[in-house]
Amino acid sequence: MVIRGPLGLITILTSPVSLFFLSSYTLAGPLKTKPGKPRPFRRARDVTRPGPGGVWATRASRASRSTSPVRRLCAFKMQRKLVCFPLSPAVRVKLVAAGFQTAEDILEVKPSELSKEVGISKEEALETLQIVRRECLADKPRCAGTSVTVKKCTALELLEQEHTQGFIITFCSALDNILGGGIPLMKTTEVCGVPGVGKTQLCMQLAVDVQIPECFGGVAGEAVFIDTEGSFMVDRVATLATACIQHLLLIAGAHTDEAELAQKHQKALEDFTLENILSHIYYFRCHEYTELLAQVYLLPDFLSDHSKVQLVIIDGIASPFRHDFDDLSLRMRLLNGLAQQMISLANNHRLAVILTNQMTTKIDKSQALLVPALGESWGHAATIRLIFHWEQKQRFATLYKSPSQKESTIPFQITPQGFRDAAVTAPSSQAGASLNFRKRSREQEEEC
Amino acid sequence: MGLLRAGLCPGLTEEIVQLLKGRRIKTVADLAAANLEEVAQKCSLSYKALVALRRVLLAQFSAFPLNGADLYEELKTSTAILSTGIGSLDKLLDAGLYTGEVTEIAGGPGSGKTQVCLCVAANVAHSLQQNVLYVDSNGGMTASRLLQLLQARTQDEEKQAGALRRIQVAHAFDIFRMLDMLQDLRGAMAQQATASSGAVKVVIVDSVTAVVAPLLGGQQREGLALMMQLARELKILARDLGVAVVVTNHLTRDRDGRRFKPALGRSWSFVPSTRILLDVLEGAGTLGSSQRTVCLTKSPRQPTGLQEVIDIGTLGTEKQSPELPAEQT
Repeated sequence: MVIRGPLGLITILTSPVSLFFLSSYTLAGPLKTKPGKPRPFRRARDVTRPGPGGVWATRASRASRSTSPVRRLCAFKMQRKLVCFPLSPAVRVKLVAAGFQTAEDILEVKPSELSKEVGISKEEALETLQIVRRECLADKPRCAGTSVTVKKCTALELLEQEHTQGFIITFCSALDNILGGGIPLMKTTEVCGVPGVGKTQLCMQLAVDVQIPECFGGVAGEAVFIDTEGSFMVDRVATLATACIQHLLLIAGAHTDEAELAQKHQKALEDFTLENILSHIYYFRCHEYTELLAQVYLLPDFLSDHSKVQLVIIDGIASPFRHDFDDLSLRMRLLNGLAQQMISLANNHRLAVILTNQMTTKIDKSQALLVPALGESWGHAATIRLIFHWEQKQRFATLYKSPSQKESTIPFQITPQGFRDAAVTAPSSQAGASLNFRKRSREQEEEC
Repeated sequence: MGLLRAGLCPGLTEEIVQLLKGRRIKTVADLAAANLEEVAQKCSLSYKALVALRRVLLAQFSAFPLNGADLYEELKTSTAILSTGIGSLDKLLDAGLYTGEVTEIAGGPGSGKTQVCLCVAANVAHSLQQNVLYVDSNGGMTASRLLQLLQARTQDEEKQAGALRRIQVAHAFDIFRMLDMLQDLRGAMAQQATASSGAVKVVIVDSVTAVVAPLLGGQQREGLALMMQLARELKILARDLGVAVVVTNHLTRDRDGRRFKPALGRSWSFVPSTRILLDVLEGAGTLGSSQRTVCLTKSPRQPTGLQEVIDIGTLGTEKQSPELPAEQT
């Protein structure tokens, strides 16, 4: 079988690969030619004549013999079924009933014709066409990258990006070490623990630490704090902020001999005041899961207005979903959707997301274990999982899940100045370890 | 089969389309099923023209049968087996990942699915010098861990950089983006099909449950359709373009709540041809152990139930350089 190829050369279709174009809409695999089979032969002028929708509506766009690579790519794209687009189910059902199966069928039709044929309103028809066209247009090579396109990069570029990215330090060097430098940006971290072990303390500490200026090794960002349990105490944050400023002053004091560095430090410390720190923590209070979902849905708009935000904390993702939720499958759906939205936010806006979770008892083979709440599938939601637990009056943090770090356990403590490394174990420091802010110290707890 | 439109094939003019529409024949399938004598009479069209039209449309839209011998020859020449880089896993998978098939890795949180995927990517990019596409949907792709795995294989920085350049990373956090991207890939690969170098040989989707789980459950039925559309895309990619597809899946509890099974239900269980299950080694002792058991639960070639032990701390470095440290904390 002989056809006229794109360069005007006669090519003989014998290779499975070129037959793939022909078979792309026959849903068959690569196949051998069958000599003598009649095929519709498209003339050159049919190929080049543009239809009503521009190059997209070219009648012969299905042919493998399209003249340009872009058109061939467009021809290929056109076989996309309508189910691949985020259309509303009602509209899609009507479209399918009217006989429209793929994107190509829709793109050739004007909105008014579409609304008449299918029986939907003009606005819906227009929206449908916009969704389908935008998706298709976004894939065209010469279009500028919109937010709809999926960006691809090589692992080398990703590595360079990771090297230049900072971490949010926690002021507990052991914890920073096991995390590989601190809380990483562009990932979601989940912190689980029994009540009183220090999850909210860590969140408040990070809300202050994210604002540390770059010359001191921080990321100089702002924080969004979404509170569902009401455990955010402003006076405690003020104490933490003051302690952080003191710490930075000490560091600056230690480097007064290096003039340039000292100047940078001075300048940074002028802006790093208590008022500034508190004003850069954006606080949202959500009482129910619907409010939480709405808040997360509105976050991208908020983040585009406040581009310096580098940390989003949701303190208490478990509590709205654990009380009066009858439909467990709905809960799982909502939680998974929330997890995907959070990782998508973390990636698009280059920030870190911290979620705190509660613990629950699981009866497994006649023994009771303490496990993170919200079920098994929630365990996959966050990229990094930290579990805080008690062991004889000492707090421990365990890294349970991480893509690049090993599992390990370290001790830590909460002092009046905030989240810090554990004091060296000595009889005198027991008093320091039991100086829990606001909560009583515990006796033996089960290890999770 | 698409809508009938003027110019779909020679001989199909606008007036014929309108006349047929008047008889409620809107799609090619309708025309193929219609009684042409009746249509010719009622529409006052020539019977011969209609028959010719139908023949042309069927030739354009129908599938061609292929005989078994041709299929076998073709498979023999086009299938490749790609080693994963982990000896015991290769044993389980009957020498490695087969192109043209979808392989699934299921496991609980922290069981090592992402580590195995990263190891596969590093091995294919470095030892086999092939391109890899890594689709990340839950943030597990960390390039520094990839670099660690590569550094365990070679000290030459140029080779490391070369291997990293062959791994493409795409982030797709919801199903529509993932479908877009897989279709893009199909289109791009179909175009450059003649250039065999530069073609992607392995596509790793980590994880497919993360994008599908927000759609399943509840009252809506859309989720299942989208999941099967994704399955179709992956299978077409594997089968038609000669790519080895690796997907990761989560575990959920059985209905009686006792055992764990791979997520996404029974419909998805037919999509991958090979399934392996990762689990923490029982009795491995304390936390921090990096030993995992791998169990083969579905395979077209090996008996199921085979089990091996792998160490995710030292992936792919067992026989090469044992003195290198596993990972630094």
